[in-house]
Amino acid sequence: MYEMSDQTAVSSLLVLVLDTNPVWWGSRQQETQVQLPECLDAALVFANSHLMLSHNNKLAVIAAHTDRSHFLYPMRQEEQMQMDADGGDASVGGGDGKYELFAQVDSVVKKEMQQLMSQNPEGEVSPDSVVAGALAMALCYIHRLEKECTIGIKLSARILVLKGSEDNPSQYMNFMNAVFTAQKQSVVIDACIIENESGLLQQACDITGGIYLKIPQETALVQYMLWLFLPDPTVRSKLTLPPRAQVDYRAACFCHRHLIDIGYVCSVCLSIFCMFSPICSTCQTTFKILGPPKLPKKKSKKTS
Amino acid sequence: MAEEETGYRWETEYEKTWEALVEDESGSLQASVADIVSKAKRRHLLDKIGNVRLGMMRHLFVIIDMSQAMNDQDLKPSRILTTLKLLEHFVEEYFDQNPISQLGIMASRNKRAEKITELGGNPRRHVTALQGLTTKPCQGELSLQNSLDMALQTLRHMPGHASREVLIIGGSLTTCDPGDIHSTIKILQENNVRCSVIGLSAEVRVCKKLCQATNGQYNVVLDETHFKDLLNQHVTPPPATANTESSLIKMGFPHHSLTGDKNSEEKASMCMCHLDSKESQGFGSNGYFCPQCKSKYCELPIECKACGLTLVSAPHLARSYHHLFPPEPFKELLTSDIMTDAAVCCYGCQAEILEPQVYQCEKCQQLFCLDCDLFTHETLHSCPGCASLRSTPQTPRLHVS
Repeated sequence: MYEMSDQTAVSSLLVLVLDTNPVWWGSRQQETQVQLPECLDAALVFANSHLMLSHNNKLAVIAAHTDRSHFLYPMRQEEQMQMDADGGDASVGGGDGKYELFAQVDSVVKKEMQQLMSQNPEGEVSPDSVVAGALAMALCYIHRLEKECTIGIKLSARILVLKGSEDNPSQYMNFMNAVFTAQKQSVVIDACIIENESGLLQQACDITGGIYLKIPQETALVQYMLWLFLPDPTVRSKLTLPPRAQVDYRAACFCHRHLIDIGYVCSVCLSIFCMFSPICSTCQTTFKILGPPKLPKKKSKKTS
Repeated sequence: MAEEETGYRWETEYEKTWEALVEDESGSLQASVADIVSKAKRRHLLDKIGNVRLGMMRHLFVIIDMSQAMNDQDLKPSRILTTLKLLEHFVEEYFDQNPISQLGIMASRNKRAEKITELGGNPRRHVTALQGLTTKPCQGELSLQNSLDMALQTLRHMPGHASREVLIIGGSLTTCDPGDIHSTIKILQENNVRCSVIGLSAEVRVCKKLCQATNGQYNVVLDETHFKDLLNQHVTPPPATANTESSLIKMGFPHHSLTGDKNSEEKASMCMCHLDSKESQGFGSNGYFCPQCKSKYCELPIECKACGLTLVSAPHLARSYHHLFPPEPFKELLTSDIMTDAAVCCYGCQAEILEPQVYQCEKCQQLFCLDCDLFTHETLHSCPGCASLRSTPQTPRLHVS
């Protein structure tokens, strides 16, 4: 990374949000489709490349599961001490000259992922993941690191979301809150989509200035990630990137969930309706019906 | 500054502020200092009242006092320059939190009032106007009645569902009015205009009466930080008065067309917002097209000049949703009360909690540290724990204050 003219070192923090929905990953049976272990390997190669670019670079990995989000890396303090006490996991690719940080990242992420997947979720499992919660956790983590940053080093943060499952419309509000917060904190959100297009992430990338890409060929996942998502946002202006897609910013009406061009907005709760109705269904306020202006009544002549 | 019932500052008893600091066993003051700091941080959050109907569409007039008194240097470098600098931040924050609202700026000097910018929704125009004001001299006297009359002329015609507000930033202790200020106050009351005043020198009785009669806020600044705090309080939407009508507003959601489409029939045309400008700015084939009359505009939100339809995009409305559905305040617990074998970690940032207080969300039962608590309530507006759960949130009933 090139240095800024006033000699402040820039430390780049990358937060990877992985979609680990077991229902969706389990439904991919064909040979040409990439499976979860391969996707995880690709993500780890990408994470290692990011750490290799500069000594100051930092990493965090969050898994967005069906009903919760979980930090895969870095581990909590006491689990770290537990692992050190156990003698470390030197056998997992760490023995022969591999950079220790890479080995640690690999082993921790794999172990945590195994634990996450082996826990059987209770009740219904749905084929969509809660990305909004993972984004909120990522932003809290970024906020904490910005405070803990040593003086003289500037922290620039970005979030990369690897998603495959479909969107869940009920998390719209939490998701948009997270996106607006990211925009305010100058955090760029990128999206790498594997199968299902996501309207929410398209809006997120457009608002924060990130890259949205649906991978055309899944087997080349590593290549796409390394070519497009590895460079920092400051360098991206010098690169040739895929053109920005036209994002559909039309609103969906609350009654039918159709996308509308012209709608009626309640002035109290800002819910959007496609037709005029005398009562708002969200906040139960009654509206004045603006009828036509009243004309004076003509007295009808009585017919005898 | 002074409340209704208590007297002035010099009349109250001694406040023994040194008694708040208590030394612990080793003689260090750090614990009590940290306690005071964290209490001050949380004070802001606890003051908010929930479940009150807010005025979301706001029409706010800011009246800047440009009389002789603003040349005073008790706020560095001078009162007027500090005011203009803080107002630039205020304008940006205002449009960030209230994207569908409008703002207008007026100034008062030489016993007259002048309109600097019309009521509008474009932040850049207001910021440019504010920067232009730094070169103008401050002279003469403030005229409250003239400025309020001028603001009222425009606000009177605004639709009933929008909240009408006036914010006066005054450093002068006197006002020079052509008529009876109390009749103006009465007219403002009848027209449902909420006037607030931020005083820079001392409390003035006329301003206090004005604010009380119209349900506004009256504060006097102590220093620049306090001034910034007071301005920030006016950024969030105020509770709506009982007279605010609620209605369904017709709005359009235009789509953005880019030049990348080869099959599109869009031809290059001039946009309506730059129609009067001499340069060729705004000429091109990309822009937002009004769904009713197909006129082109460069940016949103805007009111269509041809057909009068308000054009917004869905994220603009989404920005205001967090005012309506704020997260509940977290419950404060003692760290020593938490029963776990492992160390207590914050759910949001994964840091180990070392302070004696920890905060818990009542809905999802997750624990958070103080920094994440403040971040969640002030910036993020969603609890990370609740956002990770699958159940849809209940929409609360909104009451009128």
